[in-house]
Amino acid sequence: MHMEKSDILHNLAQAVIDMDMARARKAAAEAISCKIDPYEAITDGLARGMDKVNELFESEEYFVPEILLCADAMYAGIEVLRPHLPKETAWSKKKIVIGVVKGDTHDIGKNLVKIMLDNAGFEMHDLGRNVPYAKFVDTAGELNADLVCLSTLMTTTMDGMHVVIEDIKKAGIPCMTMVGGGPISPGFAKNIGADGYAKNAAEAVRVAKGMFQGIQIPRTIKTPEFVIARKNRGGIR
Amino acid sequence: MNCADEMTPKERMLSILHGKHVDRLLVSPLILNFASRSLNLTVRSFCTNGKNMGDANIACFKKYRHDIVYIFSTTSTLAEAMGTRMYFPEDDAPQVEDPFIRTREDLKKLKPVDPEKDGRLPVYLEAVKRCVDAIGNEVFIVPVIGAPFTTSAALRGTETFIKELYTDPELVHTVMKVATQSVKNLIGAYVKAGSVPVTVEPVATGSMISEKHFREFVLPYLKEVYAHIHSFSLPGVLHICGKTKRVIQCMAESGADILSIDNIDLLEAKAMVGDKVCLMGNVSPADGMLKGNPDVITNMVKDCVIKASDSPKGFVLATGCEVPIKTPHENMIAFLEAGRRFARLPINLN
Repeated sequence: MHMEKSDILHNLAQAVIDMDMARARKAAAEAISCKIDPYEAITDGLARGMDKVNELFESEEYFVPEILLCADAMYAGIEVLRPHLPKETAWSKKKIVIGVVKGDTHDIGKNLVKIMLDNAGFEMHDLGRNVPYAKFVDTAGELNADLVCLSTLMTTTMDGMHVVIEDIKKAGIPCMTMVGGGPISPGFAKNIGADGYAKNAAEAVRVAKGMFQGIQIPRTIKTPEFVIARKNRGGIR
Repeated sequence: MNCADEMTPKERMLSILHGKHVDRLLVSPLILNFASRSLNLTVRSFCTNGKNMGDANIACFKKYRHDIVYIFSTTSTLAEAMGTRMYFPEDDAPQVEDPFIRTREDLKKLKPVDPEKDGRLPVYLEAVKRCVDAIGNEVFIVPVIGAPFTTSAALRGTETFIKELYTDPELVHTVMKVATQSVKNLIGAYVKAGSVPVTVEPVATGSMISEKHFREFVLPYLKEVYAHIHSFSLPGVLHICGKTKRVIQCMAESGADILSIDNIDLLEAKAMVGDKVCLMGNVSPADGMLKGNPDVITNMVKDCVIKASDSPKGFVLATGCEVPIKTPHENMIAFLEAGRRFARLPINLN
């Protein structure tokens, strides 16, 4: 009856890779009943699976439907584990505000980036789609955000990114900015003064991690074991 | 600026289709909502009124003399006519607000369109008829139809719909069948109105779904659509924007005669499918038309001609996707002038 910890972690990861919500829930429940640290079940189980999904996306074996379903499985597992987690305030995560700029309601790309950054250990604040420029600036200020990510699929709305970046600078908010989306090129990103550009969700993770050199270190629990575990999956440089 | 042209756009197109001598390759920027600028209309007043939509396209053609006059506002127009609710920004293309199919129950209410009555299809038909009457002797009028997968995604909500490729393939096929019938009904109505409809399938782009899913859920229905278009003795045109390298082989198997492509190197496209289909593309709408200047655009046009003008089944110079609404007039002129210069036959790039 008693399962090996490594088997459970493997099952959590595999359930995510296989897009299987039911199996993710089941494995999460097993993790709880076997007294596995729920945070470890997430980082070394579900999130490890999602890391693999990210690789599969980059190597073009997985596409948008696969990522969305893998994320559904990951979040199904997290829902089971969440009540057993320590209070979130114990963690010092980098805060990211993300949204699709005003005038555009295409949000699949933004959702993929959100999923991947969430999995990479960032605290995500999703403003949704068709977001007024001022909302980005206000939220970044209120939350003391570390990074603002702007997305658009349309040529008609890409100039809105420029407005948001200018306004963030004018307001003196000390956060970074990253842009992406169908019509956005690295050249355009540079021209409007964005700190980062990502061509897809996988690259967004690399760029964001690069900005903060992977400082996703928990404030309270700093056991050597944990740090090694995070290192192994690329969480800490 | 038209000094180089010896034929009308229509004569040129007909000669190409019949394999006869022409003065130059077709030069066809994808002027869609941009046409509203020729009468200083907002996009909303352009795309919700057939007279406006028609007259703006007529004015636009008189101004630029481009080789194909497209009638279009959004890829979701057919889904809208089948029940999806749209949001109409004051001066931008309409976007999906509320998809029609919320639950499986809603599938029972789904039926193929009546183009004379449903949604804004009568607006499009009026625009087509006005254009055919006013300029149809000089240029082909080409209304753009959202193909079955794109229409189905707008009926169900794109995110939900593409997940259902795994979780509910039966629902996907059910919606696709009705959407395909709608596409065919609309093709019939457009042909009757004297126009040459083309289809766009951007939701099936290579950055969205896998080739496996394209073959299973998209290709069979596209084949049905192009067989229908061929039954009127008209050529099939398939436009997919975004990254198309991964699906271009499938596109070439769909029965479409011309592939309009966006984010792919034309040399690669030529090597992959140039022996099967005519290629069309692909000056960048954002970096070129909107943000570029006449020099940048001239070089982009030249680059396209260098790479693809010798493609075995032919080449149409175009933009990769819709010409942005805010494209400066001088950039459009630069595209057309460079096209008329470099695409003149025989090709001489000096």
